[in-house]
Amino acid sequence: MATTLFGIRHHGPGSARSLVRSLQTLNQSQGPDIILVEGPPEATDSLSLLAEADMQPPVALLIYPPDHLQQSAYYPFAVFSPEWQAIQHALKHQIPVRFMDLPQAHRLAMRIEQLEDERTEGESAEGESAENERTENRRIDYEDVEQAIETDDRPPVDAITRDPLGLLAQAAGYTDSERWWEHMVEQRQDNTALFEGILEAMSALRKESALNNPPDLTQPQYRLEAQREAYMRKAIRQAKKEGFENIAVVCGAWHVPALTEPFPPQKADNALLKGLPKLKVKATWIPWTYTRLSTSSGYGAGVTSPGWYDHLWQSSQRSHTPTESAIHWLTRVARLLRGEDLDASSASVIEAVRLAEALASVRESAMPGLSELNEATQTVLCFGDPTPLKLIHQKLIVSDRLGSVPENTPLIPLQQDLQKLQKRLRLKPEAAEKLVTFDLRKDLDLSRSHLLHRLRLLNIFWGIPQTTSGKGTFKEAWKLIWEPELSIAIIEAGRWGNTIADAAVAYVQHEAQQATELPLLTHLLDRVLLANLSEVIPYLMQQLQNIAAVASDLTHLMAALPPLVNILRYRDVRQTDSAMVTSVVDGLMVRICIGLPGACASLDDKAAEKMMGAIAQTHSAIKLLQRAVHSTNWSTVLRQLCDRDNLHGLIAGHSCRLLLDEGSLNAEDAARRLGLALSLASEPPQAAAWVEGFLQGSGLLLLHDDSIWQVLDDWVTGLNDSAFTTLLPLLRRTFSNFPAPERRQMGERVRLGSQLSARAMVNDRFNCDRANQSLPLVAQLLGIPFPPQPFPSQPLTSQPFPPQQVIS
Amino acid sequence: MTATKPTATKNKSSKKAKTAATKTTTKDVSTVLRQHVETEFANELTALEKEDSRQRPPNWRLSPWAVATYLVGGVLDSGVEISPKYVGSRRLMEIAIATLATDRALLLYGVPGTGKSWVSEHLAAAISGDSTLLIQGTAGTSEEAIRYGWNYAELLAKGPSASAIVESPLMKAMATGKIARVEELTRMPADVQDTLITVLSEKLLPIAELGTEVQASKGFNLIATANNRDKGVNELSSALKRRFNTVILPVPDRADEEVQIVQKRVESLGRALELPAEPPALEEIRRIVTIFRELRGGVTEDGKTKVKSPSGTLSPAEAISVVSSGMALAAHFGDGQLSAEDMAAGVQGAVVKDPVQDAVVWKEYLETVVKERESWQDIYRACRELA
Repeated sequence: MATTLFGIRHHGPGSARSLVRSLQTLNQSQGPDIILVEGPPEATDSLSLLAEADMQPPVALLIYPPDHLQQSAYYPFAVFSPEWQAIQHALKHQIPVRFMDLPQAHRLAMRIEQLEDERTEGESAEGESAENERTENRRIDYEDVEQAIETDDRPPVDAITRDPLGLLAQAAGYTDSERWWEHMVEQRQDNTALFEGILEAMSALRKESALNNPPDLTQPQYRLEAQREAYMRKAIRQAKKEGFENIAVVCGAWHVPALTEPFPPQKADNALLKGLPKLKVKATWIPWTYTRLSTSSGYGAGVTSPGWYDHLWQSSQRSHTPTESAIHWLTRVARLLRGEDLDASSASVIEAVRLAEALASVRESAMPGLSELNEATQTVLCFGDPTPLKLIHQKLIVSDRLGSVPENTPLIPLQQDLQKLQKRLRLKPEAAEKLVTFDLRKDLDLSRSHLLHRLRLLNIFWGIPQTTSGKGTFKEAWKLIWEPELSIAIIEAGRWGNTIADAAVAYVQHEAQQATELPLLTHLLDRVLLANLSEVIPYLMQQLQNIAAVASDLTHLMAALPPLVNILRYRDVRQTDSAMVTSVVDGLMVRICIGLPGACASLDDKAAEKMMGAIAQTHSAIKLLQRAVHSTNWSTVLRQLCDRDNLHGLIAGHSCRLLLDEGSLNAEDAARRLGLALSLASEPPQAAAWVEGFLQGSGLLLLHDDSIWQVLDDWVTGLNDSAFTTLLPLLRRTFSNFPAPERRQMGERVRLGSQLSARAMVNDRFNCDRANQSLPLVAQLLGIPFPPQPFPSQPLTSQPFPPQQVIS
Repeated sequence: MTATKPTATKNKSSKKAKTAATKTTTKDVSTVLRQHVETEFANELTALEKEDSRQRPPNWRLSPWAVATYLVGGVLDSGVEISPKYVGSRRLMEIAIATLATDRALLLYGVPGTGKSWVSEHLAAAISGDSTLLIQGTAGTSEEAIRYGWNYAELLAKGPSASAIVESPLMKAMATGKIARVEELTRMPADVQDTLITVLSEKLLPIAELGTEVQASKGFNLIATANNRDKGVNELSSALKRRFNTVILPVPDRADEEVQIVQKRVESLGRALELPAEPPALEEIRRIVTIFRELRGGVTEDGKTKVKSPSGTLSPAEAISVVSSGMALAAHFGDGQLSAEDMAAGVQGAVVKDPVQDAVVWKEYLETVVKERESWQDIYRACRELA
């Protein structure tokens, strides 16, 4: 009868390997008849799922109270997690396996109580507005989730408990505890003695730490630690009572001394565990990613290089020598670089391996670690350039592997939330395609639309938006179709949060954090507004402001403006948000106005065309905004553009047109400018571009303004043959954009010659009687009564064409 | 990271002359302007050699560990203090040394003034005890300078023979198993650079005229320095680049590191030039380094204001020369105390390399940053007067 304690390092491939080996050797002699693993006992029942083939790590165990979905605990597992390996070993050899940590039912209840306390304290202490209070609490929630996610909970004392082995490694002069472990542990043959060594080292560390920092049981974190260990002892006692003889205990190295016999009296443990608050909790498994396992994302488990650990684990499985392991790693690096079109030959890989080994020996370690391999990569494969290493870090060292869970996994909270919402909003998931139209003026339909938009944000494409035929923005059409894959999408989205709203917010924040370019953010913003996630807008605005401040591409800034203006003008956002949007819009406008003249300089044809589009967009956004200060600034900038000599004709011409349209430039002035642009001094292609910019979109101007027509006509007739041939394609392009009737009118005008006035032309060609005959049919087509009621005697006025100016 | 380009260059050419011709008689140590580093730090090297019990690669004077210690400094068990030659990351130096230990050639790459030549010289001194096997790359460097030349009198008199060959430093290094150095590799014409390919891949140098070859002895290796920012450089061919392990020496991360570099070098230069001036106050050096770092980084040290960057590189080496020329000014024309006036001209000269653009940058910096700092009024006035 014996209890074997395995003090491990959470998520340490070295620990996992040693653990598996020890368990196997134990098996040969007299295997353990039960394995106890550090973890929440509520999940013991769902452990059998781990044997299924579809269960692929990384996955996380999620413990959540159904009534408090915001509060939950995640326990991530990777293939190289010792706990995972211990459980797998037990399942394979049909040994009972149990979790033995303090139940989350108690821990979550305690945390919620604690939060309640903080909340009431905060409310009584300061008379802050309810709004602030809410965001404040929300922040605490997030922090708390992060802490709970680590398999080993918040360190009660300091760094010692968080990564005790890391501390020992540091004392031995290593920067990476995994490397120290590799060095000290992996090369050894005798594995069981290793865990005894760990016990000894941990006892020393704990004694030291208790001397320096005596645990104070009135402090919640010390108390929690004591309670956890008491519960673990209780679980071991229980197992013994049930008649198990050889008990294997897998727990964080730090806890090992506390679980060594002789135990403190059972009474004391029971006293510690007495009267704990309790809560109903459920357990399920969700897919996890290596990215989220790494510290670089907020929900990390403290593993900086999961991809590398995975590699270490795989090579230990194939019992590779250190050199083989390095070769495999560097070959993967080289393949990755080649995939990105970077030069990485096999010869370089050989040299990189040699350098890594030489570096390891210079540093007096037995095998190259990740830092040696990275340095060798940079020096040999990347020619000293550190940039490709970022790619390697992202793709290999962290890696984007996503786990999966079997289909019969219990429902995750997100699914439950969705089901609740589906019930409440009376939207049934059906496999058959269904078209629905929502009237957004109705509350129910609006909520439905929000739900569908939120799901789309989370990449759950249940509804596909359709274009509506009706007028007005209050209608929204969707095509609903529930594909079985959506359930998987929901499970994947489960890592973002436990309610649809929370998950969408977390996901948007994540996306916004990743975004480096403005258009992405503005697009996201648009979707967020549709999904009515106003709480994330401040964050998005902040991010937008940050990126706008350093954005060098002015067209991006200009592209960001219209959606924001749309928000200000049309959307019903809360007051605070609109103030925030205004400040971002103001900032954008100032930057655009300052930067535009410079950004327009020396553009080639393609860039000029793009820029012209951006200017037109910005112009209409500013018109929409109707803010005097912006309009004046913008006009000034446009005027500057008009007056600049060295500008691309397209932009100068278009600026001139915009100013003419809004009335800050009169027709004579415009004609004068056109004349200048078309005068002999300017190059014909440049002049043609000017004309293109000026006439962009519509040729009506040309038909209605004699002076402009005249200037253009003179220019075209004055061109010599060769210049005309060169320019013909350019002009053709401009004119071919006009609608056919306009072109026809222009052609007719040209045929009549420049001498005839517009009036003469119209009068000559226009037969009132014949036109009147067609009116009843036109009226029928338009669906209006004939003759029109207000002006029965003047049928001509209801004619949209020819317009007024031509006649007068 | 502490080389000053002007002095180093002077020295390089003199050394080249020395190594190309037959050995000149060693001058009296006290009269040479700049000693070889193996002479200057001879006692440190001997102390390391005595204590070093680790395994040494063939023909190395010290073990890799000891070479690293020689470069980054430390205190030996015997109590001998090793001064740091390179202020910065030890890991970087370990990469360089490990490279040389694997018989791959080492390329120290980067912007001017980050101490590439300095590191290469010390590496050669520590590994082979000889930093003089040097080929200086210039636009006029010929293939003979890399391979071998002929003693034409002998060649005409006796025809091609081993005795008529004038060995290049590289050939000597190969024969004796030492480290050869190539300075400013990218300044050589591309076809001359490629002469190195055979040496680096086959480790031999054929002598076609005699039908023989020189095979590299164990311990031979090559350290090249090259920069990628200057005007008039010839990019390395990728064939050659592949044969090097490249280590990029960065500009110092932290201000205090850079201050330390400048101070140390200025003091030793002042000693060498026997300047009567007091060593400059740390405060002055800190100001110069701050100006250089802010202009180089494009943002003030407090991270609040953005400034434009001039076209020059503003390396620590330039800061060193500004301070030492200021010291010379103070010693010969001033009161021996380094003042703002003594440094203003030097700073301006270092910053304004392009008379139009850089002048604007410098003026903007003076007016927006220097002017605002209370304790910097003297330097502001001095610079304004000049500008």
